[in-house]
Amino acid sequence: MTVPKEMPEKWARAGAPPSWSRKKPSWGTEEERRARANDREYNEKFQYASNCIKTSKYNILTFLPVNLFEQFQEVANTYFLFLLILQLIPQISSLSWFTTIVPLVLVLTITAVKDATDDYFRHKSDNQVNNRQSQVLINGILQQEQWMNVCVGDIIKLENNQFVAADLLLLSSSEPHGLCYIETAELDGETNMKVRQAIPVTSELGDISQLAKFDGEVICEPPNNKLDKFSGTLYWKENKFPLSNQNMLLRGCVLRNTEWCFGLVIFAGPDTKLMQNSGRTKFKRTSIDRLMNTLVLWIFGFLVCMGVILAIGNAIWEHEVGMRFQVYLPWDEAVDSAFFSGFLSFWSYIIILNTVVPISLYVSVEVIRLGHSYFINWDKKMFCMKKRTPAEARTTTLNEELGQVEYIFSDKTGTLTQNIMVFSKCSINGRSYGDVFDVLEHRAELGELPQRPEPVDFSFNPLADKKFLFWDPTLLEAVKMGDPYIHEFFRLLSLCHTVMSEEKNEGELYYKAQSPDEGALVTAARNFGFVFRSRTPKTITVHEMGTAITYQLLAILDFNNIRKRMSVIVRNPEGKIRLYCKGADTILLDRLHHSTHELLNATIDHLNEYSGEGLRTLVLAYKDLDEEYYEEWADRRLQASLARDSWEDRLASVYEEIESDMMLLGATAIEDKLQQGVPETIALLTLANIKIWVLTGDKQETAVNIGYSCKMLTDDMSEVFVVTGHTVLEVREELRKAREKMMDPSRSVGNGFAYHEKTSVLEAVAGEYALVINGHSLAHALEADMELEFLETACACKAVICCRVTPLQKAQVVELVKKYKKAVTLAIGDGANDVSMIKTAHIGVGISGQEGIQAVLASDYSFSQFKFLQRLLLVHGRWSYLRMCKFLCYFFYKNFAFTMVHFWFGFFCGFSAQTVYDQYFITLYNIVYTSLPVLAMGVFDQDVPEQRSMEYPKLYEPGQLNLLFNKREFFICIAQGIYTSVLMFFIPYGVFAEATRDDGTQLADYQSFAVTVATSLVIVVSVQIGLDTGYWTAINHFFIWGSLAVYFAILFAMHSNGLFDMFPNQFRFVGNAQNTLAQPAVWLTIALTTVICIMPVVAFRFLKLNLKPDLSDTVRYTQLVRKKQKAQHRCMRRVGRTGSRRSGYAFSHQEGFGELIMSGKNMRLSSLALSSFTTRSSSSWIESLRRKKSDSASSPSGGADKPLKG
Amino acid sequence: MDRTSQSCRSRLPDNTALKQQRLPAYRLQLSATKVLSGFFATGAFCLGMGIVLILSAKSIKEIEINYTNICANCAELRENAINFDKECTCSIPFYLPDTMQGNVYMYYKLYGFHQNLYRYILSRSNSQLMGRDVKDVGNCDSFRKTHNGTPICPCGAIANSIFNDTIILSYNLTSSVRIKVPMLSNGITWWTDKFIKFQNPNSNNLPSAFAGTAKPPHWSKPVYELDEEDSGNSGFINEDFIVWMRTAAFPTFKKLHRRLNRIQYFTEGLPAGNYSFNITYNFPVTRFQGEKSVVLSTLTWSGGSSLFLGLAYTVTGAMTWLASFSMMAIHLMRKEKKMFFPSCQVKL
Repeated sequence: MTVPKEMPEKWARAGAPPSWSRKKPSWGTEEERRARANDREYNEKFQYASNCIKTSKYNILTFLPVNLFEQFQEVANTYFLFLLILQLIPQISSLSWFTTIVPLVLVLTITAVKDATDDYFRHKSDNQVNNRQSQVLINGILQQEQWMNVCVGDIIKLENNQFVAADLLLLSSSEPHGLCYIETAELDGETNMKVRQAIPVTSELGDISQLAKFDGEVICEPPNNKLDKFSGTLYWKENKFPLSNQNMLLRGCVLRNTEWCFGLVIFAGPDTKLMQNSGRTKFKRTSIDRLMNTLVLWIFGFLVCMGVILAIGNAIWEHEVGMRFQVYLPWDEAVDSAFFSGFLSFWSYIIILNTVVPISLYVSVEVIRLGHSYFINWDKKMFCMKKRTPAEARTTTLNEELGQVEYIFSDKTGTLTQNIMVFSKCSINGRSYGDVFDVLEHRAELGELPQRPEPVDFSFNPLADKKFLFWDPTLLEAVKMGDPYIHEFFRLLSLCHTVMSEEKNEGELYYKAQSPDEGALVTAARNFGFVFRSRTPKTITVHEMGTAITYQLLAILDFNNIRKRMSVIVRNPEGKIRLYCKGADTILLDRLHHSTHELLNATIDHLNEYSGEGLRTLVLAYKDLDEEYYEEWADRRLQASLARDSWEDRLASVYEEIESDMMLLGATAIEDKLQQGVPETIALLTLANIKIWVLTGDKQETAVNIGYSCKMLTDDMSEVFVVTGHTVLEVREELRKAREKMMDPSRSVGNGFAYHEKTSVLEAVAGEYALVINGHSLAHALEADMELEFLETACACKAVICCRVTPLQKAQVVELVKKYKKAVTLAIGDGANDVSMIKTAHIGVGISGQEGIQAVLASDYSFSQFKFLQRLLLVHGRWSYLRMCKFLCYFFYKNFAFTMVHFWFGFFCGFSAQTVYDQYFITLYNIVYTSLPVLAMGVFDQDVPEQRSMEYPKLYEPGQLNLLFNKREFFICIAQGIYTSVLMFFIPYGVFAEATRDDGTQLADYQSFAVTVATSLVIVVSVQIGLDTGYWTAINHFFIWGSLAVYFAILFAMHSNGLFDMFPNQFRFVGNAQNTLAQPAVWLTIALTTVICIMPVVAFRFLKLNLKPDLSDTVRYTQLVRKKQKAQHRCMRRVGRTGSRRSGYAFSHQEGFGELIMSGKNMRLSSLALSSFTTRSSSSWIESLRRKKSDSASSPSGGADKPLKG
Repeated sequence: MDRTSQSCRSRLPDNTALKQQRLPAYRLQLSATKVLSGFFATGAFCLGMGIVLILSAKSIKEIEINYTNICANCAELRENAINFDKECTCSIPFYLPDTMQGNVYMYYKLYGFHQNLYRYILSRSNSQLMGRDVKDVGNCDSFRKTHNGTPICPCGAIANSIFNDTIILSYNLTSSVRIKVPMLSNGITWWTDKFIKFQNPNSNNLPSAFAGTAKPPHWSKPVYELDEEDSGNSGFINEDFIVWMRTAAFPTFKKLHRRLNRIQYFTEGLPAGNYSFNITYNFPVTRFQGEKSVVLSTLTWSGGSSLFLGLAYTVTGAMTWLASFSMMAIHLMRKEKKMFFPSCQVKL
């Protein structure tokens, strides 16, 4: 073996890639990556990222400066800092510095504490991932290392069911030929297994000593986020070996059905495709946030206007009066003219009036959101007992947006469905067996109904799968009776598939199915006594009712997207040759022998029934072949497969020929088990006017099937449009046709441009439509010139299903809706393929409790069942929105009422920036006297009980239409605040101007006036919050009464003799409270102010309730009336509708393992030894597989996909 | 992940009313009976209160004499600061048609004098005024120290601008016999002001206590000579001084100056008849276009002769009743229409 250090030169001479001449990768952007196995020293030169991932922002040292820096990037915080600086200038400071610094420090502290806690949890989760154990080959020994210590160039060993720690080049595995099975659910959401293979030269490196000597160097592309592409070259022993994605194991995958494998780390940590795909977390703001920021800006504008008015007033006043008043009060030394005095007074007033937007606004909003997040975390009804996972609000800043969602983008697999296939019904020889779950039995599954019938007892069969449940005992009886049709039916199921079996111990069978559908069918056959036991490339051994029978496997006519069927040709021990075929009904029913007509009709009825229930159906048929015909056919098949050109077409036609005139056996119905309560949730959300789009990587048929079974698509719909065009023109045409159909036919003109005349398709739509669009069509539809057309069409439809979409497309669709619709979007998904979508949408929801956590990590909310979405939106979201709106309305109101008094007072105090209130009152008003009641309202308020918001989903609409807090509502609040401030100032003014105290002394001194106005303000805003609070819990009582009590307590304390004694210059109001508040006139003033402020509000609300009640008002009222007569509200009924026929031959995402099986490539050596067969050259099957795959990717399914409606 | 079942169980949220948002609560609902009865009650209260207040205000006897222009010559003299040491008096005769029953109070009232300017209000030193340190002139700004650096006592703009007219009310018992109406200059401040907020420095001898300080520039005599007869009313605790120091909220204000000492002829109050004010005119107001007047008034519990509060109450009460009637009418009209909501919406 060559000395490693000399190798690069050698390669350079051997004509390595041109970028090679650059000795060092440029540091900024890596142009290529080189990693040499087992040579840490060499790899360290490149300073590749380590495998340590870091999502946290701070550490202990950087926390304070970084956090403060971040906080002062918030405009509000900087603004308050600016105010604070203003206040330090003596000439313009009209308030003591502490009126701003106390709240500011409070706000900064609270935010900092929150950030610190968040970051702590990020540290924790990072640590947890970074400290996962993996086995690394160091110095020839396997050592346990933490993930974070894995470096580029290390060789690590993975065991079955382990997560892949980094992006690896597969070197060798326990399976023959360096094969290795992985599940990529975390990456792309597909849960079927995929095969990866090591390149032949390395696949022999089975033991550690060999691996330790391995010193190949990989040169490959720099880190990128393309999950399905990899190009690189392995240089080893002076040879070059091309590397592709087929040789890579990506971080986030799980090793399945492979005992162990070795891999060379190519990308680590942040460079892995998984992390590259996760992108940066965008900071999400809610629409309320944005509105609030706009409003705050407006308020600043308003503030400046008021400042200007008062400054002008001051200049005029100083010019007219103040100049002559200088005997008593000379101007400041700095002030030389009335104009300058006006200028100073502008700043002084900015300081005084800044309380219209208090700092506590931001912190209160945060606190309320935090409270709402806790309610979500605490919700028992969103706790999944099975997985023991509670709902989690991972972002605390988005809650109220949950009450405004208009579009939901949902992943399918793992989100709507459990990705569990259950053999639930079958039709054999015209008789239907099996019992589907209905609503009742859904509950029975949870064990709530003990009287539920027992599942069929399979104990007669020692090889039965204990987990398999079937509820119709008649089928088993028929099997035991020996009904030949039923036997043939199950024989077919046990023979016609590409499942591999594994028997670790005697009788302990494991099936490795490429798709869960197939697994379900073979398992069903297994339990009914037709146990598929093992296979060799040429045989299949089946235990039929206890006796082992070995069939000779003559051919597998594999599945592909066009054929939509698969067949096997077997020779039974008696020597008879039979073809067994299973496939999509649309395809298979045309290829049956005409003698089966009667049976056909019965079966079609059953198929309709099954698909009406949302089951995935397959039709089973067989055909007896005579020896000569088969020989002749096999010959032609061989010819076809050997053909140089278009061998695929030729093969297809050969297959087609033999798969005809078949005898119908029956049909199977597989339930793609939906998650609990999915149809109900979707129905409810639809009623709440939320549009649901399903974006799935799945095949179209599967997606449409699920669409039906979860009631997104119904047979009541006028039409389901399917867009499958391959070119821009086709897609455009299909979209146009869809729009035309949707519009009132009488109005649409024959020519294709009818839609241009209408402003929106949305308005013209009559009836319910749905749109199904394929990934490749979507790619065209998302192009800049067509995206609007697509959006318009899609939004006019009630349901949209996008299938075969890539993670990026998911995000693009979401982005499209976000861009043009101004609607709040929510994306929900469970896999890493949903991450981009989850991050793009306004709100991302991750389904937790699955194996993958990528989606959850990227999400804003997570829970483990799709059905919790209804509670999250309709209950939590709705309440959050309501509370936040009520909070904001009240908050602006109370601050305007509070602050504008200064404005009015300005006209009486020579615009000298004298405050009306004591400075302590100004400091404490927002943080003590009025903060808790409104917080309590913001956290606890409820308009209607939670059950009602589920019963009346229409209650959700105000949020979508943004009715509760918008610019109009804001102006109403402001107007009310200003109205209150006018009364708050002028009523005491009217009273005080002439009045005396009851002992004859002056009443209208400044301090008494201040106390009177402050007291009436506190009382008025307390009464107002009492009116706004719809749900008076003990806490609300405590806070509201408590605030009043605290106000008076503090008032008397501040005005006490003791404090004055200690700080005579700080507490000037000594004795004021007891002297002022003892006056009847003062109390009469306060009472009058309160009455005049509150009465119009009550009257207005009462009239609104009577004349234009909200839906929630009506619901409340109805509730009140109905209190006695408890109506039966829960009205769920099973829809036993016969649906259109939909085939669900959806058992693979990609081509089956057929060829793999026949070639024997994946067979263990032991089984290989038994069989003697010739095989194509070692790499050819992969080659052909790849060729087919790329073919089918560029030209899939075609016309066969189209007609969904029968 | 590998969590123990123990910790798994602990993930189940507590089933408490707080955490499940099921806190027992009263749902505020604006029902017709509650709102309407509330409105009627409030209306009744306001109307009643209004009438009582109006009657009470009407019962007050009050007389106000604006002497800015009557004493025009003095005002002119005071325009010029040079004449500060020239005395100027003026006498204002007036006729009181009705007896002023009970306690009678004499106020001086200033128009357009801004005691509520920001810098004016600040311009005082409470620690000086409470006698702790007579030389503490903290916030007093332009009136802290004299030119030669002696701290002013009492310092600040408020103290400096004290109202220093002397107003003497005399009663013409007959056309020739004039007697001075006995007036009390004590009891015109809050107890807390006189005994807490304002205190003389601890010393047996007032002048020595104020040694080392200067009088404010506008003052004619030092603070310890404010009341030479009564040492309990001199220095910082002089009640006229205290009254002035309690700054007014609005530019127009009246401050209590004297109260009637109900002795001799005045046990019942001020009898009807001819009176005259003898005013020593010291306080210049015309320079800033202010005015000043002197007010005699009786007293009521509700404070003052102003009808504002009473009228406001009456109007509010009337409006409230009007509103409640119209609301009732609307409510009754709407009641015909059922406010029910169509029942179960969720059908699958």
